[in-house]
Amino acid sequence: MYPQKLNKIINLFETLPEDERRETLVSYADNAKKQEPREGENFDLVDVRKDEECMDTVGVYLHVDKDGKAQIRMTLGPEVQTLTRSMTAILCKGLEGSTPQEILDLASDFVTRIVWCAFAARRFITCSRASKAFVRFISTASAWRKSRSTAVSAVGPADILSPES
Amino acid sequence: MATHPTQYAHPEALVETDWLEKHLNEEGIRIVESNEDILLYDTGHIPGAVHIDWRADLQDPVIRDYISPEKFARLCSRHGITPETTCIFYGDKANWWACYALWAFRLFGHEKVKILNGGRDKWKAEQRPMTREVPKYTKTNYPVPKKRFDKEIRAFFDEALAQSKSDKPLIDVRSPGEYKGEITHMPEYPQEGVLRGGHIPGAKSMPWKTATNDNATFKPADELAKIYLDQCGVKPGTDTVVYCRIGERSSHTWFVLTYLLGLENVRNYDGSWTEWGNKVGAPIEKNA
Repeated sequence: MYPQKLNKIINLFETLPEDERRETLVSYADNAKKQEPREGENFDLVDVRKDEECMDTVGVYLHVDKDGKAQIRMTLGPEVQTLTRSMTAILCKGLEGSTPQEILDLASDFVTRIVWCAFAARRFITCSRASKAFVRFISTASAWRKSRSTAVSAVGPADILSPES
Repeated sequence: MATHPTQYAHPEALVETDWLEKHLNEEGIRIVESNEDILLYDTGHIPGAVHIDWRADLQDPVIRDYISPEKFARLCSRHGITPETTCIFYGDKANWWACYALWAFRLFGHEKVKILNGGRDKWKAEQRPMTREVPKYTKTNYPVPKKRFDKEIRAFFDEALAQSKSDKPLIDVRSPGEYKGEITHMPEYPQEGVLRGGHIPGAKSMPWKTATNDNATFKPADELAKIYLDQCGVKPGTDTVVYCRIGERSSHTWFVLTYLLGLENVRNYDGSWTEWGNKVGAPIEKNA
């Protein structure tokens, strides 16, 4: 149902008691910086913007290799909340090596499986913010796919660097 | 024009970051962090601080209301708090939730409460110590409060309506766009909207942030007096009701009026716009 790497992460979270889930989420948030673009990397699509729902800018960088596998990087502004940091880092790791189509096919229920309902229900936006990272990844994959079918035509807010590479 | 105070009415209700760092281990105090970002405490907090989640710890899980006095007693006991403990609240968002938690503690009659001036952001910006170690305190036996002080510091819909009809001071502390009815939610929180936009008839617009400096500390007493007494028409001895969207930003203003300006009879309408803007037949003004 989910790409293998993401599935492993989901399964891990589902076995953890609440305090360890919190610790693991914080650990992902701590390591979110490691998911930033590295020097020399090129991307097929870069989408950096501040969504209305977010406190700060979230950037998603997508590279699809010759085998059609995605590599995703991200940048987060300083005001982005901890849970969004965690979820974005989880998505970068969990979706690495997936195809854009697999990303588009993802069911969003993994967000509550990771964050767990009782925690997410403390504030509606908590879950929504966590999901927001997911939505951004989906929109980036969608823009990439669109760019493949329309060559270099515009794909909304995203910036296509080299759609046919 | 009346002479404005040069000192806060209750300066003891504020502690400065410098003071707190020197008194972290002082007997009789409990530092309480309360945030909007629900994982922020876990990423690091002031040494010795406990975490109180405004929703999970202070609100009833089913009904839109606060916890029972029994649950409040259990919450305090769990954190080693007694009625004699001075609780020093701080948090993110310029102390929104810290003020909300403080107000909730006052609802249950806990009297010894303070705010860390500048909150979490100032503490962090000054590179003061932070830890991830969760402190453990000896459990206390906090007595169950005999009552909740709803009547004294909390306004319900009917009381806010009566306030509006009698032209007594009502302060809307939301953003100007929310007040004017141009948006039905806070900027950046579109999922938390309501069905109708605007404000309670007669309410004055004074966004909560007007009371703070850029570093989230409170403005001096004379400036606060100009804002609330001169511009909002608040008068000592007159009932005042403050509101926002769910009562957190208005807790901040409630703290300013009650503790820094020393006004009595200030109530927080925590039902706020999420109740008013959804209520059938509630009168609404949409002008600027």
